Amino acid sequence: MHSRLKILKSLIVLCFLLIIFRLFLIMFVEHEVYLERAKIQQVKKEDIIPKRGNIYDRRGRELAISLEKESLYIDPVMIKNQEAINNILNNYLKVNYQQIVNYANNKRFLWVKRKMDDELVQKIKNMKLEGVGFITEHTRYYPKGNIASHVIGFVNIDEEGVEGLERLYDRYLKAQKSSKIVLRDASGKKLSDGIYPDIKGNDIFITIDEGLQYIVEKHLDEAMAKWRASSATAIMMDPFTGEILALANRPTYNPNDLKTIKNMDAVRNRALTDLYEPGSTFKIVTASAALEEGIVKPSTKFDCSAGFIEVGGKKIKDVHKNGVLSFEEVVQKSSNVGTIKIALMLGKEKLYHYIKKFGFGEKTGIDLPGEIAGYVRNPNKWSGTSIGAVSIGQEVGVTPLQVLRAYSAIANGGYLVKPFVVSEIRSPDGNILFKAVIKREKILSENTALKMREILKKVTEEGGTARTAKIDGNNVAGKTGTAQKYDPKIKRYSKDKFVSSFVGFIPAESPRIALIVVIHDPVGAHYGGVVAAPVFKAISDEALSYLNVPRDDAKEKGLIITLNNENSKKVAVAR
Amino acid sequence: MNKGSIDKTILFTVIFLIIIGLISVYSSTSVLASVKAKYAEKGGMIYFQKQLFTLFIGFFLMFIFIFISPANLKKIVFPLLILSFVMLILVFSPLGVSAGGARRWLKLWPSAFQPSEIVKFAMVLFLAWYISRPDYNKDSIKNFLIPIGVMGIFQLIFLKQPDFGAVLTLGIITFTMLFLAGANLRYMGITFLMAIPVIFYLAREPYRWRRITSFLDPWADPQGSGFQLVQSLIALGSGGLTGQGLGGGKQKLAFLPEIHTDFIFAHIGEELGFLGAFTVVFLFFLLCIRGLSIALRQTEPFNYFLASGITLMISFQALINFAVVTGLAPTKGLPLPFISYGGSSLVVNLMAVGILLNLSRFSSEVGYSKIFIQPTSKTRKYRYYYRVRRLS
Repeated sequence: MHSRLKILKSLIVLCFLLIIFRLFLIMFVEHEVYLERAKIQQVKKEDIIPKRGNIYDRRGRELAISLEKESLYIDPVMIKNQEAINNILNNYLKVNYQQIVNYANNKRFLWVKRKMDDELVQKIKNMKLEGVGFITEHTRYYPKGNIASHVIGFVNIDEEGVEGLERLYDRYLKAQKSSKIVLRDASGKKLSDGIYPDIKGNDIFITIDEGLQYIVEKHLDEAMAKWRASSATAIMMDPFTGEILALANRPTYNPNDLKTIKNMDAVRNRALTDLYEPGSTFKIVTASAALEEGIVKPSTKFDCSAGFIEVGGKKIKDVHKNGVLSFEEVVQKSSNVGTIKIALMLGKEKLYHYIKKFGFGEKTGIDLPGEIAGYVRNPNKWSGTSIGAVSIGQEVGVTPLQVLRAYSAIANGGYLVKPFVVSEIRSPDGNILFKAVIKREKILSENTALKMREILKKVTEEGGTARTAKIDGNNVAGKTGTAQKYDPKIKRYSKDKFVSSFVGFIPAESPRIALIVVIHDPVGAHYGGVVAAPVFKAISDEALSYLNVPRDDAKEKGLIITLNNENSKKVAVAR
Repeated sequence: MNKGSIDKTILFTVIFLIIIGLISVYSSTSVLASVKAKYAEKGGMIYFQKQLFTLFIGFFLMFIFIFISPANLKKIVFPLLILSFVMLILVFSPLGVSAGGARRWLKLWPSAFQPSEIVKFAMVLFLAWYISRPDYNKDSIKNFLIPIGVMGIFQLIFLKQPDFGAVLTLGIITFTMLFLAGANLRYMGITFLMAIPVIFYLAREPYRWRRITSFLDPWADPQGSGFQLVQSLIALGSGGLTGQGLGGGKQKLAFLPEIHTDFIFAHIGEELGFLGAFTVVFLFFLLCIRGLSIALRQTEPFNYFLASGITLMISFQALINFAVVTGLAPTKGLPLPFISYGGSSLVVNLMAVGILLNLSRFSSEVGYSKIFIQPTSKTRKYRYYYRVRRLS
């Protein structure tokens, strides 16, 4: 009997040995193979969704940010409830299932809708359909809508910069795609993120001030409506540093809703991509040159009583007959005759020299895409009339930015500054990758600049062309411009198409802002003093309040208290 | 017959296995349990706590069985057999609980109970009593067929559930004990031959046949019939010598189905490596050898058959489980005694160990001799059995 137990016992021992042998095979001999297989199924490589850097204004307010949005895809192989999926696609997304499947022949991953509404995403997720999935992507969002849209620009669906800073600084803003290894469970669900940091692009801080930008945009809109203009531009700059404080164009667009853009007209940053003939605003080049060269004094008299002047066989008229004007008054009243007389004293070489000195005919070098150099002909190609035309701002093509820069040179004591928008680029961990440096070049003596400033102040005073630009409390230095548009059809200057502009700086004595307003094709009036100067006034008035600039007359009105101690400070209470 | 103390080796082996089991149950379930909404309150501890609770019940019953004398055990043979039969039938009543397409559980406070476990135990007890009766004739066809008949009735009910694992274990236990009883080998052979067509009939459906044969080449269909085995092998194989470390296993993340019950051995291999897996196998080996040696020292035939029956019941279950997990046998739903999560198996096996521990006290130095032949020497107890065989 016990022999049977012994047989059994031996059998069992054999079984145990077999198990041990089998374990040895699996766990040692084939260990590597199984380890590899385990890794394949337990671990997955996952793309880290890169997050584009933000754009902030000069006070750190968000102008462009990235939001997480879900994108819907389908996997046709996994679909079980075909009818429900057809319904969703038809009803919510307005696409035909069969069409996209045909379009993507036999692929297992088909985008249906990128970056969807959160509400709809939740709705579809709740249906728990197989074959439908979501991927989180980042989408660009501009919290302030069309504010500064021409500066910031926009991106395409793949988060690549297309316009503006988004395009020019794309390589800074965008983050490198990378991937991470994550643990997953059998259903493919991610279990841990590991210790991979967010991949984020660099943040850009720009010189635009959202508040000032808003003021500019608001008044530009009002002017567009009032004058039924075809387009308009306004740029505000710190005349000493070249920081662009605000830049707006009309027509504009909302970067959050690109579908509403009908043509590229709205996208163009006219402030630096469009040429116009500056007209009278250009006269400061002639005037400054004459002062700098010492051939005139502010009091030098010019006889403008004829009301016209013949240059190269062509008559150029004044708007009104002016009589005998001093140099000052020539600028103040914007006399064409007087200006041409000054130009003739200068000669075309000198005039051209100063035009180039003021930066016309070349790019300002601003860090925004699409800038053009403008159009200034070499004097040896000038016709007989040219010296007359050029000196009063005809036969030259300039950008509003170039004009503003020229006026800034008067405002800041004779320096031609390089305008810029990006003040700082910071990496996600706070390192400063780029910091703007102010670049400027001395083009006028301080004396000339001061004299020009005094003259430009008079423009907005009694007897000037732009009393409409005068604001209470501060002196405005500026110049109107009214230019007929050249009509290529009739090959002559048009009689009803004008570019109306005003450019200046304020407060005249210690300038805080330089501002240019250019309005194309106003209807009902065309003089810069009527059309553009009031816009300048409205913008600068609000801007000074926004910037807390003390009003020059505040002391007289008893609104400034001077403290008689060592740290005496002027305190502007209110206007 | 001298009443000694209980066998410490058996006791500590079992306790060691239970500790490994508790740790493994916790480690294999904590992650997924903590994400299950219905366990939100207790989190990852839920399975561990349940197992700990049944463990107390099991130890309590083990303790009781240590003090039930073999004579009294004989008295509960029939009540227990009938009780297990009734419980098994009740599975098909509204009290029954079905899960995963099988009806194997009975609603019993605090959780479901699996009557097939108690059936195995009752069968061992019944067979030990039946084959140790003085009038048991090993060549009598009637004495052979009665146990086979009892087994068959249970097996038919198991098939109804269905629970092929239980059919198999019950069959193996019954035949082994009849074999030990010295049953006529011809009868056994004929029964085996008759069983073959039955097996083919049961596996007539292709999917069942695939399930049975898939263990020969699980990689032929790693996503389908071979899935569980493939995942089991990946778990074991990725363990290597020392494993991924306690808690470091990844197959428990829903890759290997039933990792905390039938495939917990793979989990141990993954986390504790070959050293851990070998330890478990060795502990069962020790339990088996020790159990059989206790059996051999019994003076009463009933005690002898009972001790060996219990030892073999536990050993076979462990061996079948090892074979399934390592891909040496087709996948069957069988727990690993003392280690797998599941109250029924734990409680019943502890009860059985209680009996074994009790019997270890009844060991005699000459033990087995009394049943069959007089000893020639009391001092050479280990060599004794071989001599007896030579003499006879």
